[in-house]
Amino acid sequence: MAERYDLIVIGAGPAGLAAAIYSARARVRTLVLDEGVPGGQVKTTHKVSNYPGFPEDVKGAELARRFAEQAERFGATIARSVEITRHDLRSDVKELELDEERVVQAPAVIVATGAKPRELGLEGERGFRGRGISYCATCDGAYFEGKSIHVIGGGNSAVEESLFLTQFAAQVTIVHQFDQFQCEAGTADEALANPKIKVLWSHEPRAFLGGDALERLAVEDLKTRTRQELASDGVFIFVGMVPQTELLRGLVPLSPQGYVETDESMATPVPGLYVAGDIRVKRFRQITTAVADGTIASLAVQAYLRGRKA
Amino acid sequence: MSGNVREIQQSEYEQAIPAKGAAVLDFFSTECPPCEALAPKFEALAEQFAGQIQFLKIFRQGSRELAQRLGVSGSPTLIFYRDGAEVGPRLTGEIKRSELKQRLSELVGG
Ligand SMILES: Cc1cc2nc3c(=O)[nH]c(=O)nc-3n(C[C@H](O)[C@H](O)[C@H](O)COP(=O)(O)OP(=O)(O)OC[C@H]3O[C@@H](n4cnc5c(N)ncnc54)[C@H](O)[C@@H]3O)c2cc1C
Repeated sequence: MAERYDLIVIGAGPAGLAAAIYSARARVRTLVLDEGVPGGQVKTTHKVSNYPGFPEDVKGAELARRFAEQAERFGATIARSVEITRHDLRSDVKELELDEERVVQAPAVIVATGAKPRELGLEGERGFRGRGISYCATCDGAYFEGKSIHVIGGGNSAVEESLFLTQFAAQVTIVHQFDQFQCEAGTADEALANPKIKVLWSHEPRAFLGGDALERLAVEDLKTRTRQELASDGVFIFVGMVPQTELLRGLVPLSPQGYVETDESMATPVPGLYVAGDIRVKRFRQITTAVADGTIASLAVQAYLRGRKA
Repeated sequence: MSGNVREIQQSEYEQAIPAKGAAVLDFFSTECPPCEALAPKFEALAEQFAGQIQFLKIFRQGSRELAQRLGVSGSPTLIFYRDGAEVGPRLTGEIKRSELKQRLSELVGG
């Protein structure tokens, strides 16, 4: 027997959980499902300084926990660590099969599946994953106590996470393709003043080398076109994100970069199917903009559900 | 619930990996959301494959030397064994239940 809800939210990041808070408070029977634990990208961010209401900074994991707790307090159900094994998002009543064993249905679905770290696509990258290459500083930073490591990237995430990694590593070398950081000025100043942080400006990684574990990183100087190999105990990669839109392929229009086009109320051309957060085409992807999307999507769904009843 | 997954210490590693048959070992950490996400999937599959595969887990913070020796530098990392020897690629980071189930089926399939 299928379980019936008014709304299913796919993805328990900031967008999905904001949608769940608004929906559950409006007595919309809401199921939020996530392939991992709630929080999305926020749960692996070591500290958040720009989310209003936290003048002292807040740990990403703590903010994630609070988002989820608030949604559950109003009656939203959160299903953790579930995998969608079959889906029909086109029909009037949408249906999902979870872990090949549980079927859930709802007339409205909000897809808020966000984004995952981008891989560089370089030689050795897949093979050394978990053997020296990481995309999550909070998860793996402690493996590099006293070590000499590299961070690839120069945006907010790369520089923030480099600062965090100095708690463990003896030296953090940031490899960045430009000759200045693409991050908030305060963060850049903090990194440049940190004695454990070195920067290789105008360099790009070319390959990851080693035996059983990563040993060396090959980089190219973009100005002189010279290549060198650097000894490295570990490399953390923060070079942007890839939108998670597999569920929507062939169903809604995607931009060339793979983001979803919506109207102002987060609706897609498919009735009852909404989209919120980082997977949308938009200029700025932040926690505040994700929760704004989630709010709007929830209010639009509430109007849609009222319209169906009328 | 965790009856089918046995947590081991690094000192027990050698005896814990069975000389005959299949086993899987999960290196996990605290403050690791993908580890938290894997735990219920690992438990569920341990129940499904009970009697066919030994499910083991080990806390990385208490197992530095072993992690170093096995070249593990990320959590979670799953290592697969047949007849005492490591087989096939490791799984690490965000691990889907279907992907893990597939690997485990191959492990018992031969
Ligand atoms: C390292 C880092 C630091 C950052 N720091 C800041 C900061 O300081 N301030 C700030 O405002 N923003 C920051 N951001 C950006 C911010 O985290 C994102 O904009 C925001 O999390 C987007 O929210 P979302 O809900 O759209 O998506 P996400 O946070 O990506 O959440 C999506 C969720 O959907 C789940 N999911 C995906 N696919 C599926 C599927 N098929 N089935 C089920 N579940 C699925 C995922 O597991 C995830 O939990 C940072 C990002 C990173 C990576």
